[in-house]
Amino acid sequence: MDLFLVQLLNGLVYAMLLFLMAAGLSLIFGLMNVVSLAHGSFFMLGAYIGLSIYQITNNFWLALVLAPIPTAALGMVVEILFLRPLYRRGHLDQVLMTFGFTFVFFDLVRSIWGSNIRNMAVPEALAGAVQIGAGIYPVYRLFLIAIGLALALILWLCIERTRIGAMVRAGVDDSAMASGLGANVPLLFTGVFGVGVALAALGGVAAGPIMGLYPGMDSEVMIPAFIVIVVGGMGSLRGAFVGSVLIGMADTFGKTYVPSMALFLIYLVMAVVLLTRPQGFFGIKHMGSSGNIPPRNAVATAPTTRSRIIGAMVVAAMAIAPLFVNNHQLTLVSEIFIFAILAMSLDILLGFTGLPSMGHAAFFGLGAYAVIVLASLFNVDPWIGVAIGVLLAAAGSAFVGYFCVSATGITFLMLTLAFSQLAYSVVVKWRDVTGGSDGIGIPEKPAFFIWSLESRMVMYYMTFGFFILCYLGLRRMIASPLGHVLVGIRENEGRMLAIGHNVQGYKLLAFIISGTIAGFAGGLYALFNGFISPDAIHWSASGDILIMVMLGGGGTLIGPAIGAAIFLLMKNLVSSYSDHWMLIIGCVFIGCVLFFPEGLWGTFRRLKPVRAS
Amino acid sequence: MGHIPSSQTGAGVMSVLRTDRLCRSFGNLVVTRDLSLEVQRGERHIIIGPNGAGKTSLANQIGGQLRPSSGRIFLEDVDITGQSPDRINRLGIARTFQKNNLFPNLSILENLRLAVQARRGHTLNCVRPVAHYSAVLDRARELAAIVHIEGEGSRLVRHLSYGEQRQLEIGMALASEPKLLLLDEPTSGMSPLETQRMIELIRDLPSDLAILMIEHDMKVVFSLADRVTVLYYGEALASGTCAEVQASARVREVYLGMAG
Ligand SMILES: Nc1ncnc2c1ncn2[C@@H]1O[C@H](COP(=O)(O)OP(=O)(O)OP(=O)(O)O)[C@@H](O)[C@H]1O
Ligand SMILES: [Mg+2]
Repeated sequence: MDLFLVQLLNGLVYAMLLFLMAAGLSLIFGLMNVVSLAHGSFFMLGAYIGLSIYQITNNFWLALVLAPIPTAALGMVVEILFLRPLYRRGHLDQVLMTFGFTFVFFDLVRSIWGSNIRNMAVPEALAGAVQIGAGIYPVYRLFLIAIGLALALILWLCIERTRIGAMVRAGVDDSAMASGLGANVPLLFTGVFGVGVALAALGGVAAGPIMGLYPGMDSEVMIPAFIVIVVGGMGSLRGAFVGSVLIGMADTFGKTYVPSMALFLIYLVMAVVLLTRPQGFFGIKHMGSSGNIPPRNAVATAPTTRSRIIGAMVVAAMAIAPLFVNNHQLTLVSEIFIFAILAMSLDILLGFTGLPSMGHAAFFGLGAYAVIVLASLFNVDPWIGVAIGVLLAAAGSAFVGYFCVSATGITFLMLTLAFSQLAYSVVVKWRDVTGGSDGIGIPEKPAFFIWSLESRMVMYYMTFGFFILCYLGLRRMIASPLGHVLVGIRENEGRMLAIGHNVQGYKLLAFIISGTIAGFAGGLYALFNGFISPDAIHWSASGDILIMVMLGGGGTLIGPAIGAAIFLLMKNLVSSYSDHWMLIIGCVFIGCVLFFPEGLWGTFRRLKPVRAS
Repeated sequence: MGHIPSSQTGAGVMSVLRTDRLCRSFGNLVVTRDLSLEVQRGERHIIIGPNGAGKTSLANQIGGQLRPSSGRIFLEDVDITGQSPDRINRLGIARTFQKNNLFPNLSILENLRLAVQARRGHTLNCVRPVAHYSAVLDRARELAAIVHIEGEGSRLVRHLSYGEQRQLEIGMALASEPKLLLLDEPTSGMSPLETQRMIELIRDLPSDLAILMIEHDMKVVFSLADRVTVLYYGEALASGTCAEVQASARVREVYLGMAG
């Protein structure tokens, strides 16, 4: 059978799997304005539950039909208990909430089913292959295509022909109208969320026999599904279908005919579509209108004498700390300083400008890889590497920012996420230079002036010094006219435009500043760690930084630093006596979004009596 | 189009704003239909019309928040059709919004300061604290006084009364030092007393400033307008002095008749 036909069918198989994910994502977004980052987790959870049912009953069909039920129930519980309380507060908090759940579900899957790859057998009835033209093709894959098409048709009929479908359509067209539907709205939301989750779970079970099951399969499908709905147009079922076919085909044919480009092809498709038609093929609503950031930690107060004294005491304590702590702790604190710089840099975007970036780790990675790649391949002095890395991060963030800053809220989040995954693909793919997924290291740490960074003490003081420098520099920027403009953009972008501020330009500037500092933090991390692997720029690493900022308090500078400290301390302490640090950090994060949306520092600052000046 | 004067120079009646056969629709709904109007220097031009007549949509097209489907908008002689709102503001049109559109979590002075800063530069400076730009701060205080907002400037805007927020809207627009001030129902939702104060506030604005204003309250219209345009389903029914418009049969029929 000719290769072309095989690829066509493979492309369709992939497209149908994507569609099962994308349909739910898109409907949920269209109706509730929430991009569920946990959607991939439900896919994974569905697959594993299906596996267990299959093993117990030895019946694949039962697994396929039953697995979506408990998964959907779980999804609806999440919606009712955790998302519903946040509808008033803004959609970003809900997105963050779903991100917290990716941790919880990942940990859950890993501890119930283990972290090894598990295989699911193709059901006997579909085990063979059929003759098509001159060749053969697996029946199971044909079955996947059929089931995907059938579900697409059923879904379409439900949306177009039923009363509930009409309500969903009305809600997607106009959120205000949805609230006009009155008491039914919460029910409708929960129902659609449940259906979306059920579709994802079904997709998970169906994909099991060809993909294999492993913790981490969630993001394998979620990123392409995101791209599908961005390309197809968020909120549109038709868009999800057309996008799935396009991305499925692009990916499959890309891998066969232009293997060197395969990983980037879908990103390329996305970039082209967004440049020519920003709302996607069938975009119903302009995505830009969807992500308002709730005001958090709006007003920065000028430092009082008392806060200056307290600050000086903290700095002094940190300066003499090395006398009292052991080497291991010293290293941990050095790492905290580096990540504190990184988190502060993200907060320029997230907390101050109101742009939730989910791809910040890419710039961190750019800085780190620059140091290590240049040192190991070209013998470049690591400090020159840091400088080059910072420049690269500035250039990279200017490039990415150029595409992203015209979007706001959740679209911005998805675009940055896609770009960072593109960077991730490049790093994994470009083995000769980056060492691929094994990572790459430098043999020896350089000196900091005359002191070798092999000494933990030197490393501590150096990172400490840079942290203080970055903190002071950023604090100055926040107090400057530029800083105030950024806060203005966060608070009310439309009004900033109406009073004549070039909002786009300032957003780009904020993006570049933030990315550049992240690049610097990456450079420091390369010196600190001597090794870097693609894990550092995976989208979940960007999510970690986001968690740090939110834990400590977005819109402040000390907050993200505190958040970085808490995050890394928890990761280290908890992982030293329990395997469940992801579960714990996920729960802490979820609790924080629910109860302390201003973060720990923000809450503390609010409680502090403010003296009238 | 004969009735559109080509830009007359010298003799004084140079229009600040001119729209030329502006059209805009949302799907089948036409909200602006072939609208050509002009605002002269120093003129108080008021647009009236029933709810949904397309008044705010017109303001949005002039301010750049909404793109016209066809037709052109000129500020003095510059074609500003389809420009971005910030560009249009910098070219000389400042506007207020029908629904208060401020920075509720920032202070009064910070609201005004941001608007002044856009006009008076320094915005790219990222090291010098804003507190050091005393000229900008002074101007912000001055504007608060001009729009009759008294008391502590550090109060958060969300704690202001509704009327004070309406006044601040105008202060924000004035901060841009516009050639044309575009006001969308500045007195909407105000008590009679507040309305009276607003009339005085607008009357005290520099007399050479061109003002295009949308208004519901006929009392305000009669006390301020040099020229009135009646909008009805996106169309200009009549345009002229208060007396001329009141005399128009069609206006009586569809609009004043309705109001009375
Ligand atoms: N973005 C939009 N999409 C669809 N229809 C719109 C949109 N904006 C306004 N409209 C419709 O256009 C018509 C005119 O609206 P507009 O706000 O311009 O009226 P208006 O004259 O300002 O009314 P009001 O006196 O109530 O302020 C209304 O019927 C409104 O529903
Ligand atoms: Mg209006």
